[in-house]
Amino acid sequence: MIVSGLLANRALAVLQTHTTAAVLINTTRPQVRLPGTIYVSQEGAIYAITGSKVHELALPSGGDWTQPRVLADGSLLVIRRFDAYSDLYHVTSTGRVLSRLTSDDESTSNETLPLDHWILWPAVGADGTDVYFATDAPKPAPNQSYEVDFSLWSAPLGAPFVIGDTGVAGGTRWSVPDTYTGGDIEPVPLPGGGVLYSSYTNTGKGTVVTVLGLQTGPNSPMESLTSQQQDCGAPAVAPDGVTVAMVCTNSGQTADLDIATLEGNALGPLRVLAANCLCNAPSWSPSGDNLLYMNAADPDGNFGLWYIANAGGAHPSATRRVSDASVDLDATSAAAWTGR
Amino acid sequence: MSRSYDLSGRRTVRRRRASRPTGRQRFTRRSFVAAGFLVSILTGVALYFLPALQVALRDTGQVNTSLGGSAQLKPVSASENLSATAPFTLLLLGSDSDSKFKGDYLTQSMILTRVDPETRHVTMLSIPRDLWVRLCTGDNGKIDQAFLHGGAQCAIQTVEQDLRVHIDYYAWIGLQGLVSVLNELGGVNVIANNPVMDDYYPADLSGGDPFDDERILVLPGAQHMSGTLALEYVRARHDDAYGDFARSQRQQQILIALRAKTKHVSLADIPTLATSLGSDFQTDMSIGQVSELLPIAGSVPLASITQVVLLPPYTSNEYVGGQDALMPNWQLIRPEVAKYFPAV
Repeated sequence: MIVSGLLANRALAVLQTHTTAAVLINTTRPQVRLPGTIYVSQEGAIYAITGSKVHELALPSGGDWTQPRVLADGSLLVIRRFDAYSDLYHVTSTGRVLSRLTSDDESTSNETLPLDHWILWPAVGADGTDVYFATDAPKPAPNQSYEVDFSLWSAPLGAPFVIGDTGVAGGTRWSVPDTYTGGDIEPVPLPGGGVLYSSYTNTGKGTVVTVLGLQTGPNSPMESLTSQQQDCGAPAVAPDGVTVAMVCTNSGQTADLDIATLEGNALGPLRVLAANCLCNAPSWSPSGDNLLYMNAADPDGNFGLWYIANAGGAHPSATRRVSDASVDLDATSAAAWTGR
Repeated sequence: MSRSYDLSGRRTVRRRRASRPTGRQRFTRRSFVAAGFLVSILTGVALYFLPALQVALRDTGQVNTSLGGSAQLKPVSASENLSATAPFTLLLLGSDSDSKFKGDYLTQSMILTRVDPETRHVTMLSIPRDLWVRLCTGDNGKIDQAFLHGGAQCAIQTVEQDLRVHIDYYAWIGLQGLVSVLNELGGVNVIANNPVMDDYYPADLSGGDPFDDERILVLPGAQHMSGTLALEYVRARHDDAYGDFARSQRQQQILIALRAKTKHVSLADIPTLATSLGSDFQTDMSIGQVSELLPIAGSVPLASITQVVLLPPYTSNEYVGGQDALMPNWQLIRPEVAKYFPAV
């Protein structure tokens, strides 16, 4: 009888729902074999997917490494994020640090946290000489205001640069954000010299939404390429310079992965590639034919790397998951795909 | 069986021939055996559910350790038992339950929720914490003080009298409880509406000085949020054009995301959840009622959820009683509330 009681007790324990711990991507094999190398972020590390193999980059420990971008020579720009600040690093394809481009932790000297800065969403200009990014500088002096919003900047890629109270030393400020919204993020430099980005805007009706903004030069007026109702962000421009993938939520709790063509300073009609998804962070293949993005297959599922072949063409393929279903990737970090 | 010894002194065991039991004796014996097994199984089950039972006992007002005995919580009566189909109104309360407050909690979050199990429709109305109302004590004050003055009963009474609604149940959760339960459920998938940034976010759960600040940043877009990240998302307010209103919208968003989790939660999970919540959770719903609700919550489609936030002109900013407050426009609020929530 004691055994039966014990069995009843343990049977209930077995019935418990156990949340499956996500596994690291380098312990799995990709479900789709794609050419070149794809860099993704998971749990603060950067992994390289090459064919059917995955390996972790040997980056220094500490902080979370995220948002990799591949340079023309195969080296990477990567963000190293800590609790209160982040920095931009230049590393080799294996993870060896070539240079630390920013030093955004001011609080180590005076412990005034608002003096710290974020740098995120790095992107390299078409000629490879400048890096574009979003940072929360400038912002009001500590205890003067709660305002902290991202604005867009560019800086020469060759040497470290300083982000301080007044902005980026030696850098160029591109945008002035709508205050208390989160600001302007995700810059994509265009071949013609302009920048496409996500701009958060206060509607004045109790909501903050995002539009795709286009600027032709630093501090030039922003053209809204999408409407406030569409609530579109996370732009990714194909190598052709005109095919734009984006994520639109229509201010809802699910999203659509959309594609459109940039026609001068306007965007053509949106075409839905994936509807009602939890998708984020699209990025293009080097050829511009194929699209990667992050997505959770169901509201309770892991975020994986997904793929659409011929995404910009008339007949895009069905969506396919590249990473194993057990892998939960950093969905706020777009994959970086190189032909190498 | 009986023991005997043979001539060599070796002990033998001889089965005594038992007299055949009568049908009545057989029935009695089997009944005893069955009852023994039943008691044993029930004991095993009871021990399994002990943590949840302890929470339930504490939360029905019989024992109340988490609020210093200040709250007189509404006991569950038979007539109030949740039926699988009857609509009901639930007041969700959330407090900063960290060491700054030592048990004297305000409610940072109040969400009036109407659930119709039959139509699978849910309405969530966030009540701004700074709403200036008549409290259950008869004094005027911000509605977040109701819980401080008289626990859940005062919060319920205040909402019922001011919004003119009837509340069937309540559930209160503290900060650490929210983090724990979200972690226990494996986090939630959410589309963060915009970059949520705060250079003056309270560093009250990290074990240091609870009055310190820390910087937080939640990136926008679809992502998986752990308990801590989700808490930052629903709690940050300083760099936000809509402050507490935006925070209320984000709180509703996390609740909606949680419903996906409830599809996978069974009755067997309740003890673990109760343990992880510890003293950071109170409700006047029974375990049975909660377990009935879980599959309902999991089956509510996104399109069947109505979200209401009392933005201007329903409220307006005013400096009153030496503090910034939100003045209610009852002429607008009460008809709006009455659309979704039955009157007292």
